[in-house]
Amino acid sequence: MDRRRARRRAAWRRRRVVLILMSPWLVGFSVFFGYPLVMSAYLSLNHYDLLSPPRWVGLANYRYLFTIDPQTWTAVKNTLWMIGVLVPLQVLGAFGLALMLARARTGVGIFRTIFYLPALAPPVAATLGFVFILNPATGPVNTILSHLGISGPLWFQDPGWAKPSLVMLGVWGVGNTMIIFLAAVLDVPRTLYESAQLDGAGPLQRLRYVTLPSISPVLLFAAVLGVIQGLQYFTQAYVAAGVASGQASQAADVTAVSLGYPLDSTLMYPVLLYQHGFTDFQMGYASAMAMFLFAVSFVVTLTIVLNSRRWVHSGAR
Amino acid sequence: MSTVDVAVPLVRRRPPARVRRKRLLIAVANHSLLIAASIAFLAPFAFITLTALMTNNQALSANLWPHPFAWHNFIDVFTKAPLWRWTFNTFEYAVLATLGVVLSSVPVAYALARLRWRGRNLAFIVVLIALMLPPQVTVIPLYVMWAKFHPFGFNFIGTLWPVIIPNWFGDAFSIFLLRQFFLTIPEEYMDAARVDGCGELRILTTVVARLAKPAIAAVALFSFLYTFNDFFLPLLYSGEQPHNWVLSIGLSEFRSLHQVQWNLTMAATLLVMAPVIVLFFLAQRAFVEGVTLTGVKG
Amino acid sequence: MKRVALVAALLGLALAVAGAASGGARHHSAPTKLTVWVGWSARELTAFKKLAAEYQKANPSVSLDVVGSINDDKIVAAIRAGTAPDVVSSFNSYDVGIYCGTGGWIDLSSLMKQSGISTSMFPATTNYYTQYGGKKCALPLLADTYGLYYNKTLFKKAGIAGPPKTIAELTADAKKLTVRNSDGSLKQVGIDPFIGFYENVPERWILPWGGTYTDSSGKAHLATDSAWTKWLTWQKQLIDWYGYNNLVKFQAGLGDEFSASNAFEVGKVAMNLDGEWRVAFIQAEHPSLNYGTAPMAAATPGLYGSGYINGTIIGIPKNGKHTQQAWNFVKWVTTNTHALAEFSNAIKNVPSTTASTHSKELIPDVHFATFLKIFANPKSGTSPIEASGASYTNAVQNFAAKWQAGTVKNLASGLSSLDKQLDAQIKQAKGGGVP
Repeated sequence: MDRRRARRRAAWRRRRVVLILMSPWLVGFSVFFGYPLVMSAYLSLNHYDLLSPPRWVGLANYRYLFTIDPQTWTAVKNTLWMIGVLVPLQVLGAFGLALMLARARTGVGIFRTIFYLPALAPPVAATLGFVFILNPATGPVNTILSHLGISGPLWFQDPGWAKPSLVMLGVWGVGNTMIIFLAAVLDVPRTLYESAQLDGAGPLQRLRYVTLPSISPVLLFAAVLGVIQGLQYFTQAYVAAGVASGQASQAADVTAVSLGYPLDSTLMYPVLLYQHGFTDFQMGYASAMAMFLFAVSFVVTLTIVLNSRRWVHSGAR
Repeated sequence: MSTVDVAVPLVRRRPPARVRRKRLLIAVANHSLLIAASIAFLAPFAFITLTALMTNNQALSANLWPHPFAWHNFIDVFTKAPLWRWTFNTFEYAVLATLGVVLSSVPVAYALARLRWRGRNLAFIVVLIALMLPPQVTVIPLYVMWAKFHPFGFNFIGTLWPVIIPNWFGDAFSIFLLRQFFLTIPEEYMDAARVDGCGELRILTTVVARLAKPAIAAVALFSFLYTFNDFFLPLLYSGEQPHNWVLSIGLSEFRSLHQVQWNLTMAATLLVMAPVIVLFFLAQRAFVEGVTLTGVKG
Repeated sequence: MKRVALVAALLGLALAVAGAASGGARHHSAPTKLTVWVGWSARELTAFKKLAAEYQKANPSVSLDVVGSINDDKIVAAIRAGTAPDVVSSFNSYDVGIYCGTGGWIDLSSLMKQSGISTSMFPATTNYYTQYGGKKCALPLLADTYGLYYNKTLFKKAGIAGPPKTIAELTADAKKLTVRNSDGSLKQVGIDPFIGFYENVPERWILPWGGTYTDSSGKAHLATDSAWTKWLTWQKQLIDWYGYNNLVKFQAGLGDEFSASNAFEVGKVAMNLDGEWRVAFIQAEHPSLNYGTAPMAAATPGLYGSGYINGTIIGIPKNGKHTQQAWNFVKWVTTNTHALAEFSNAIKNVPSTTASTHSKELIPDVHFATFLKIFANPKSGTSPIEASGASYTNAVQNFAAKWQAGTVKNLASGLSSLDKQLDAQIKQAKGGGVP
């Protein structure tokens, strides 16, 4: 009898400890995540401008979002483009740099610092710097190109070049990912390479059959992080559009030209959401946009979580 | 003659000249690539610095090299805009948020890693999901919540508190990282402490915290970096109160306040980059270790 | 336990600091502090502050805190969040549909009646753009009108006698005044009609072409109003003559509009569509510039002399405290002839009451006189006030930007899609069609 009571008391004490330890997150999750998610779904079915109480409109917001708003699909395409182009280039770039660093004998520390520094630059500062440097008329890049006889593109002023310019900005900041890859590459046991060499494998084959499989979990991690960041991509696109449009500047009142400048090419989904929610204050409509983003992110997340075991070559370790 | 088993020392023979030459060529090619890449990576910094030292008219022209070196630009920047105020705001946000993240995430991560309880795996999956969802999904109702909440007549909108406070309730990324790290701490340490009669909380604060110092340092570092560079959330909440802007907002607005003086804007850009870069040089090892930890444990 | 106490102490400290900070903003001792938000900055802000100081001296029970560089985004955000100031002012009327429609700016009609102010004191166009849906939520605070600035030195060099009055003359002059570099890029441009450049937005160009936005039932009719097609076609032809990419590159190298390196002021563009306030800027920054002002060239002789009118508006946000004192200030600054004349002289904006237009205090200026005439021209007008606010004219601007880049294949079908979008936007802004 006493032992059972003692065991029950111990179990209750353990549960209390867990509750105490988990309490900040439990409160935080409900207040800052769970509740807003439910509210978001509710608001998406209303017309709400924060001044008057929400007014029920059913699916009208979703209908407008998917069939009438001309900017929705542009925003979706742009975000998907960024993810599809920036993430692979970042992973490839970081991997390439890591390989070169792993092979280098001298000055590794200096090179590593040089490649890592841009990742530390605050995104706004880096974006401002790039927009200025890539100014088609007076920027240093085009000036140097013209000395070499090449007529440089219009970079952030050209709808065809604006996103590639953002990609350049993104690849410039791969320092973080590079360091992770470098550690992983250096961690691959030498014996694996040696046995592969004995089997007659050349350097490319060693890369393909030894290095890549060994670091595949890290590659996957970087890719997943990249996709998650791509779905939230806001700051660089927003700041670049604002600054580039201001280079042939206008009185501060009209914002039409700067949204997604030039010509909606930098209009990312989170930027459009911000515009509709916090500039136009169509909060019901922006909530509908948010629910769509949630649905897409949830599907992506679930796919990753469910398939991660299949994609990761966990045998090599 | 009987064969004798002698441990023959491994003699490293010099590889033939052809192989040596090939290796040298590869090393040279590798180094050239590294140098080329370094130039590409350093170029933007160089251009920004050069522009920061130009006069306004020169910055607007196609000149590459400043003629008089306008060092005073770095001082002018402070008189043109309330940079000190913005720096204070940024540090206030970053420090308070980082403190909150560390203090609230460590217990949660420990509970998820080392204690056995029903629903633990479900909770971890929920943490993972929260990690992966974009903030834009919850941002609107949160804004509405803060806008309607006026305790003692205090307005949260226009200040940085709505951005700081959620960090005191756990951060998904930090919880994930710490949990992965705690899983690698051998159970023996904690068993020994339990045998000595320590309660779970005591174990956490004395044994685990000390062993997990590198992970906690990494989490603090990343939290600080992330909040220092944060743009979206501060823009949302303190966007129309220039008094409460952080450096990232101030920098993006710098050009519209003063009719695009690009030389000053570039000087301001450099100044905003400076604290983080200085921090990096002071704590290089912690940075690299921390980054490695996130990748390897993730 | 210690950790919990530490957290509690830190939170308590945080709240205390917050409380102290907000407590300082509430003054319960005289004088009443009014916060006034305006869009002006630099020189123009100084002029407004001088006006505010004058009011304060005459009314010592009130102290005015003037904040400059405000735009519509900030106003909208502050009203929604409940942190709006006592008096707020915007450079343009685009969002009046939202301000009046949602009650964000309070209806001033009863206050006006109380003080004996009637709308007949103001010119007709300014009355139109300060009300919506039967509510008068704003008053005009000096007005803006747009015309042609031309560089007389460059005109003489190119052998052109006077400013162009017709579109054909405008095109010919623009081409004559354009100078290209040896590599084909542009060195000097006659006139830059690029939508998005400086003050170029469709609503300011379409007036001298006689275009209107809506038909009698309020539906958008840009596709059927031939003025739009004619203007857009002319505009694209001229841009293609310059070369679209050449023009973009040229613009990227120009100085900021409100700096002393303004492209017109330094002679990089020979003619420019600009507002009447540019006169004051030139006076301050390039007094030796030899220039002239005239109405913008028009599509028909009957339209010559007209131009786009808009202007700074001022109002009182909902949830502001001290409504009565705020109204006293708004009333003074918008109807006091002396105040309006003095402010008009300082920033060279058009006086916004019929009385102040005739004030003896106005300093005559030959360049500025052009704009007074444009303001008084019966064919001058403004853009429609709609429930979707600035999104209305923004959508038109977006379309024009795509058109001039050559991404719209069929102008007619593009314009009718635009019409449908404009109407759908209004419906959505009103609440998804729910009455």
